[in-house]
Amino acid sequence: MSTVFRHALRRFRGQVLSWGMALALLGWMIVSVYDTIAAQQENIIKLISNYPRELMAFFGAGNRPLDLFTPEAFLSFEFLSLAPVILGIFAVLTGSGLLVGDEEKGTLDLLLAHPISRSALFLGRLLASVVATLGILAIIWLGFMVAMSWSTLRVGELDLWGPLLSLLAVLLFFVTLSLLLSMVLPSRRLAASVAGLFLVASYFVTSLSSINDNLETAARFSPLSYYQTEEAFHNLNAHWLVGLLLVAALFAALAWWQFQRRDIRVGGEAGWRVPALALPRR
Amino acid sequence: MNENVVLVQGLKKSYGRVQALRGIDLEVRRGEIFGFLGPNGAGKTTTIRCLLDLIRPDRGAIRVLGINPQADPVAVRTRTGYLPGELMLDDNLTAEQQLHQLNDLRGQRADWHYVQQLAQQLELDLKRPIRNLSKGNKIKVGIVQALMHRPQLLLLDEPTFGLDPLMQQQVHRLLKEAQASGATVFFSSHILSEVQATAERVAIIRQGLIAEVAETASLINRALRRARIRFKEAVDAQPLWTMPGVKLLSFDDSTNLVLQVEGEMNGLIKALAAFPVLDFETERPSLEEVFLTYYESDRKEA
Repeated sequence: MSTVFRHALRRFRGQVLSWGMALALLGWMIVSVYDTIAAQQENIIKLISNYPRELMAFFGAGNRPLDLFTPEAFLSFEFLSLAPVILGIFAVLTGSGLLVGDEEKGTLDLLLAHPISRSALFLGRLLASVVATLGILAIIWLGFMVAMSWSTLRVGELDLWGPLLSLLAVLLFFVTLSLLLSMVLPSRRLAASVAGLFLVASYFVTSLSSINDNLETAARFSPLSYYQTEEAFHNLNAHWLVGLLLVAALFAALAWWQFQRRDIRVGGEAGWRVPALALPRR
Repeated sequence: MNENVVLVQGLKKSYGRVQALRGIDLEVRRGEIFGFLGPNGAGKTTTIRCLLDLIRPDRGAIRVLGINPQADPVAVRTRTGYLPGELMLDDNLTAEQQLHQLNDLRGQRADWHYVQQLAQQLELDLKRPIRNLSKGNKIKVGIVQALMHRPQLLLLDEPTFGLDPLMQQQVHRLLKEAQASGATVFFSSHILSEVQATAERVAIIRQGLIAEVAETASLINRALRRARIRFKEAVDAQPLWTMPGVKLLSFDDSTNLVLQVEGEMNGLIKALAAFPVLDFETERPSLEEVFLTYYESDRKEA
């Protein structure tokens, strides 16, 4: 398994660096404008107070008074509220392609003809994806830390790991969900589409549920309802964190079970057969 | 030691409503080169992939080197070298990096001098990126990776497909070298001359069923032959082609007769003693002709 893990991690290198650096750069920009924005506090509050509640809900400020200028709230408003959607794309693409990507390219056939069990391949790849996700978050954390050393915006080094851990749990939820879907749906593309739709729907439902009571029941089934931003800096909800990780573990176990049982396709994207329309013959 | 390196009994596999294998029985003996012959879609690849547990049969028993591949696939794959029919490699690596990576998965068991020797024999430049290699050169990488750890069993799915004739011969030589060093070779092909030149025994598969398993030479020997007879003068040769197992192909000028003879030639030779024979030649059919007879009989049945 260690060989598979090493090879998979090597393949993730580029993605970890590009996603991590891009988001760290975004974090650096957000931190660097904090001083300017804080100086314009009154004007900005006036401006934002005119925004519709529905819009503010998407930034995690739907049903509570906006206190944008504490470091935690500022980071949550500007970065953390959107991070699950942005990095969710990475999670969905990673999960759906973890095994089926190679299968559709036709390289899994040769790989599995070598002395590796399906379990070792599955676990090695999954573990590499977890480490890669953690790597991206670590680069983002580093970006914020470096940027904060030049700004008046300050949060504790360890405190920032609160929301990042919560983000990690959400991302692993979507990695494993996409992986499971890729095992049961006929193609990677379809698995990624379904998981991506669920991610976006979760974001909308969770965000709007803060201003619309009718969405509260639906929001209970949304993984993003258990994602913490501002509160996680000092009060990380361990139950929610563990809950998300347990669901991710369940998805991973189901995907593993399915991978053990299924045939490896030779290559190319499969599809569900749609019965051809029977056109009347002349 | 188990005599049969590959043992397949009653193997069935369906893809939805398509029955790819309809009850295959096969035995491949230790140390032989075994050809698995059939047209595209006959079930060759499905059979090979079942042997490596890449796909799971619906019914039937498989033993590879005495091991059930479904129970212990890693043990089977450790002792086996495989060349897939549709070989796909990592385009971002060089041939050498790809081989190192695959060798890594085998616990670095390959002798790198042997890898270089194989590459040299196949005229393969290991330093070139895979994305710049032609299809033939990619197959060479596939052949090297299948051979590099000196496996006990080689499972090769169409190993020379896409190679030029000289390289095909080189691959045949490598297979014979592998056999000489104790390996068993099981390879599929739809190129009949290849099987004829290389394999000691051959199985013919058609529509998911084994039509025939035999030694390549005996398959050719006991099948149809063509007899060309030239007479000194015009004769009435009808008694010859009315003999059982004999069929008239042509009779020009009442002196040049071409017959197709099925089975033993003894009866025809005895009958010819009564004719003024000037010349007598027989031709053995190629494996291709033998192979086609199976498919012609299919068409007739249909």
